[in-house]
Amino acid sequence: MNKMSYKEKFVQMNKEAKATWIAAAVIIIFWWLAGFGVYGAFGTELKIFGMPAWFVLSCFGSWILSVVLVAFLIKAVFKDFSLDDELSEENSTEEEEIK
Amino acid sequence: MSKSFMMLAPVVIFFAVLMGMGFYIQKRSSDARAENYSKDYYIGGRSLGGFVLAMTLVATYSSVSSFLSGPGVAWQKGFGWVYYASTQVVAAFLVLGVLGKKMAVVGRKTESVTAVDIIRNRYQSDLLATISAIVIIVFFTTQMIGQFVGGAQIFSAATGLSYEAGLIIFAVVVVLYTTVGGFNAVAITDTACAIMMIVGMLCLAYAIITKGGGIANIMAAINEASETARATGEGFDMVSPTASNSIPVQLFITQWMLCGVCTIGLPQTNVRCLAYKDTKSVHRAMMYGTIVVGAMMVGMHLLGVLSRGVLLSIPEGASTDTVMPALISQYMHPVLAGLTIIGPLAATMSTISSLLIAGSSAIVKDIYLHHKEAKKEKVNQSVVGKISIGMTGIMGIAAVILSINPPDIIVWINMFAFGGLQAAFFWIFLLGLFWKKANRSGALWCIIGGLGSYIFVYITGITIGAFHNIIVGIVVGLICFIIGANTGKPVDDKIGRIFFPEKY
Repeated sequence: MNKMSYKEKFVQMNKEAKATWIAAAVIIIFWWLAGFGVYGAFGTELKIFGMPAWFVLSCFGSWILSVVLVAFLIKAVFKDFSLDDELSEENSTEEEEIK
Repeated sequence: MSKSFMMLAPVVIFFAVLMGMGFYIQKRSSDARAENYSKDYYIGGRSLGGFVLAMTLVATYSSVSSFLSGPGVAWQKGFGWVYYASTQVVAAFLVLGVLGKKMAVVGRKTESVTAVDIIRNRYQSDLLATISAIVIIVFFTTQMIGQFVGGAQIFSAATGLSYEAGLIIFAVVVVLYTTVGGFNAVAITDTACAIMMIVGMLCLAYAIITKGGGIANIMAAINEASETARATGEGFDMVSPTASNSIPVQLFITQWMLCGVCTIGLPQTNVRCLAYKDTKSVHRAMMYGTIVVGAMMVGMHLLGVLSRGVLLSIPEGASTDTVMPALISQYMHPVLAGLTIIGPLAATMSTISSLLIAGSSAIVKDIYLHHKEAKKEKVNQSVVGKISIGMTGIMGIAAVILSINPPDIIVWINMFAFGGLQAAFFWIFLLGLFWKKANRSGALWCIIGGLGSYIFVYITGITIGAFHNIIVGIVVGLICFIIGANTGKPVDDKIGRIFFPEKY
């Protein structure tokens, strides 16, 4: 658990969101290349487990890639911190003001 | 023992377990509810761990179509349809990774319990919040009816009971446990449902592969069907990604938006970002959710394709929706069939329960309680309890009654409800949490313009090439938002410091 100020948490969360978008973009590009790309290059002749290679690579491949990328995200990019704002002093007064 | 009894036994046991969970949760949460009823009933006191968070997210997201319509079409069109469905693999981690923590942090800071609370606090607009609540109520109700109809159909097709009997049996169960148990019951039963969906899928896989005589035999049948299609032009080339060009590339692109990227705007799923316990939970949920959603979407649709090796044809004029029920009732041992049929029923029930609890929160918390608060009237927690339970029950029962003979207007609205929610809320959540310039006028213009244009193209039948209409709603919504944000009043510093402290 990292002690972070309210502000630092937002800097961190923006970074995490950006990394998540990048991961999604990588998956979409891979999905496209492994599906339409492999089909374009090899047609249906190339097979894995008796099924068309383009299908196995794109569908199972994107799934495995997603799991690997998420594992990377939560290990390397995402950080643990308290979801409550425990450090901020003006915490209570601010909450009153919103109401 | 008769066949239908053996088949119903697992279903009845499962239903009893779900009801038990609902009543147990109700009993366990009486203390928490006495203190703050809405927080416990509608968001479960922010207590979800990683596993339950992942399962409730996935179970809510996968509906009757993931088990019935989707695999049915895959049976007909082949691997291209699995490719099409596999775009959903990003759905679980995207909403948690992008919105998850920020909604949790600002949700705690502003004491938000519903998705509309977040909108109200961010944009400081009662008008926007009320429009949002109404959009949610309308679309959730129609979607619930759609799910009730689908669930009752599959139940009656597989068990031989009448449509009405099937509807009443499983509708009573889901409405009851959701009403008494609230959000925590929804989350726990969703978890049970997700597990049973996987179990059902595995039973189905076993049956299809053994009855089809192994993957090699099944693939031979599929290749033969594809060759016939290529030679005669009738049917579909099942081994090509576009299934004889019946799934154009433009449709794949819009599918990435409709079932992938834009799902982060769905209030019934992103409200879960307000409900989990700590950052560890959300990290774990991203992982589990991605594993399960991928297994389920790729797995179920692939089974649809492989079932072609078992069920060669369906009666002339029959819908592909009948493929899965026919397969289950004709080719499986009754007990196994009963276990399998729980899968689609669980998918239906877990979606309904989430829509019901979120829909009820829109009426009670976002409209009624807000109205009382605005008039500075104190509301007793036990009164809130009675109203919350009453409203959830009434909404559920109304949806069941409408499902007996669904009016055309509801069937029609349901067709664009999923996309409509995204057109309305995608930018409001995304820009609201990540773009400081996003303001009240931008959000109002976006919900009116985005949703309005989406409905307009639906009514008039205008299409842009082969793209799905969601693209119109999303693009118009964004343009409206940017214009509104640049002309309207910027957000004041008080709100800015809560949602964008890094800019100060």
